[in-house]
Amino acid sequence: MEKRLIKKESLAGVIAELAGKMRVCAPMQAEDQVLFRVLEPSERPLVDFANTKNAPKNFLFPRTETLLKYTRTPKGMVAAGGAEEGMKTLFFGCRPCDARSFKLLDMLFDQEKYQDPYYIDKRAKTTVVAMACVHPPYTTCFCTSVGGNPTDSEGADVLLTDLGDQYLAEFITPKGEELLAAFGGTPAGVEAEKAKEGIAAQASSEIASTVPAREAKPVLDVRFEDPFWSTLHQKCLACGTCTYLCPTCHCFDISDEVKRNDGIRIRNWDSCMFPLFTKETSGHNPRPSQKERWRQRVMHKFRYYVDNFNAIACVGCGRCVMACPVNMDIRKIVADIVKL
Amino acid sequence: MQNPYVPAPVEVIKIVTEVDTKDIKTFRFAFLNEEDEAAFQYLPGQFGELSIFGKGESPIGIASSPTQKGYIEFTVQRAGVVTSALHDMEVGAVMGVRGPLGNSWPIDYLAGKDIVIVGGGFAFTTLRSLINYMIHPDNRSRFGKITVIYGARNPGLLIYKDELEAWGKRDDINLNVTVDKGDATWKGREGFVPTVCKEVAPSSENAVTVICGPPIMIRFTLPVFFELGFSKENIITSLEMRMKCGIGKCGRCNVGEKYVCKDGPVFSLAELDKLTKEY
Repeated sequence: MEKRLIKKESLAGVIAELAGKMRVCAPMQAEDQVLFRVLEPSERPLVDFANTKNAPKNFLFPRTETLLKYTRTPKGMVAAGGAEEGMKTLFFGCRPCDARSFKLLDMLFDQEKYQDPYYIDKRAKTTVVAMACVHPPYTTCFCTSVGGNPTDSEGADVLLTDLGDQYLAEFITPKGEELLAAFGGTPAGVEAEKAKEGIAAQASSEIASTVPAREAKPVLDVRFEDPFWSTLHQKCLACGTCTYLCPTCHCFDISDEVKRNDGIRIRNWDSCMFPLFTKETSGHNPRPSQKERWRQRVMHKFRYYVDNFNAIACVGCGRCVMACPVNMDIRKIVADIVKL
Repeated sequence: MQNPYVPAPVEVIKIVTEVDTKDIKTFRFAFLNEEDEAAFQYLPGQFGELSIFGKGESPIGIASSPTQKGYIEFTVQRAGVVTSALHDMEVGAVMGVRGPLGNSWPIDYLAGKDIVIVGGGFAFTTLRSLINYMIHPDNRSRFGKITVIYGARNPGLLIYKDELEAWGKRDDINLNVTVDKGDATWKGREGFVPTVCKEVAPSSENAVTVICGPPIMIRFTLPVFFELGFSKENIITSLEMRMKCGIGKCGRCNVGEKYVCKDGPVFSLAELDKLTKEY
C-alpha cells in the first residue's frame, strides 16, 4: 500500500482542482451546518469539520432517481430510454462511519441475484477519500460498538489522517492509487505510521458512547412479542428524519410522473416510519401503528440484517440521535433491549 | 447487467370477465419481443409486476401455467390505481410485465404425492396455474391423486367457470366446487370451504395441501387439515404484502428476515411458524 504525506495547506486545493475534472462531493458550509454536496469546479471543500448533517448515500442512492422514461403512443405508453449513466465521482471527506456504510449498502444492492444496476453503476464510478476522526466529533458517536472505528479504512479507497502538521494519506485500493498523481506529497515513513497508531488508539478511547449492539441480536430473536415495544414509540412523530439521515437506510418507493406525452418512473426514499409504507390497497396494514414500525426499524438493523448479511445495519454515526425532534435515542433503545 | 426494473413490453390479446360483478378479469398477454418471452421461464406460484407506464406497478400471481405456450395470464381484481387502469384497457393495448418474481409452489416436493388444492374466492389464480400444470399430459404421471376444493360466496363469483366444467368431466381430478349460498340456478354444493374440506376428508397419507384464500377461510380450514393428519410441512400457502421492487430491495414486504417478494410468496406452515407474525 502506498502511503504519502500531504501538506496541510495543499489538500483543499488538490480537491478543488479535481472538482474541475470529475464530480466531487465533499463537506461544505451551508449557513450554520455542514452538508455533503457536489462542488463547483475549483470550489474548495472544508477539511476541518465534525461530520456532515446529511449522509453521503444520496450520491449513490439519490433521494429521487429516474429509473426509466416512456412516451405516449396510440397503443399506450412505451419505453423511451433508461436512466442517465452515472459519472466519475470522488467522495472527499467521508468519515469512517460513512465510508463503512457503503459496504453495508453494497450487501443489499449488489447481491448475487437481483443486482441493482443504478446503485452499482454509481458505486463502481465512485472513489472514496475518507477522513479519519482523530478526535471523534460528537458524544453521540458509537462506531466502535457496531464494528467500525474512528480511524478505520473500511469502505474507503484513500484514508487521510491528520497528523498535526500534515496528513497521512493511505492509498488502499487500486481506485485510490489512481489519485496518487493528483495528491502528490512525499513518501511516508515509519515515523508517520507510528504517529498514526498512536492516534488510532487515542481516537478509539475517546468514543464516549458504548452500545451493546451485538448483544441485542439474541434478545431480539426471541422478543418480537414483548410489552417493551408498546413503551417505545409513543413520543415518535413519524417524521422519518432518522431514516432520511441514516447512512444505511435504503427503503424506497417507486412511482410514475407524467407531463403531457412523456413520463418517468422514479424511485424516492421511503421510510418504515410512515403509516402508508406497508398499507395495502385493501386497507389492511401489517404494521398498523408506530409500535410495529419502530419494532421493524430496530429489528431490521440489529436482527434481520445480521440474519441476511451477517452485519449490523448501523454505523454508529449518531445522526438519528442528534436530529430526532423528540429525542428518541437508538443507543438507549438498544441498551434497554439487552436488559429485557 | 440485466436491469430487473425494466418491464418487458406485452400486448393484451384477450380479456375475460370472470365474475358477475365484473370487477375480476383475466388478462392474456403476448410478449412483443421473442427474447423476453424466452427469458420469462416460470413455475406455478410465481408472480409478476404488471407495469403500466404513467400509473405504476402491481404485483399479481401468474394465473396461466408454463405448459400454456405463447402467452401469460393474470387474473386481476379492480382495486387501486394500476388495476383500475388495467381494467379499462382493451385488447391491443401495450403495457409491461416484470418477472417472473418470487419462488414457486414446490413442484419437486409435490411430485410423487397426492395433492389437495384448497382455494377461496378470487385467491384461486396461482392454484389454477398449478392445476393446469399438473394435469398437463407431460406432468400428470408425476403427481398422485388430485383433489380440488374451491369455494366462492355465490355462483356469480366463481372464477374460471369454463375450466371448472372441463375439470369436472375428468376422472383424474376430484373436483369439489362449493358456494356459501347458491341461487335459483345453482345445482352444485352449498357450504363453506372448511366444512367441505371436512366432508371430502382427503387422506393425509403421502399428501400435501396447497391453500390460498381469504384469511378467514384459512383460519377455519387449517384445523380441519390438522385433524386429517397433515403436518405443517405439508400445508403450503402463499403470502401477500405490499410490494414495490419485487426483488428484495425496497424494504417493505419483509416478514421477519424474509422478503415475501424474493424468499416467498410461497411458504409452508412450518416455515411460517419460524417467522414473525406480521402479515
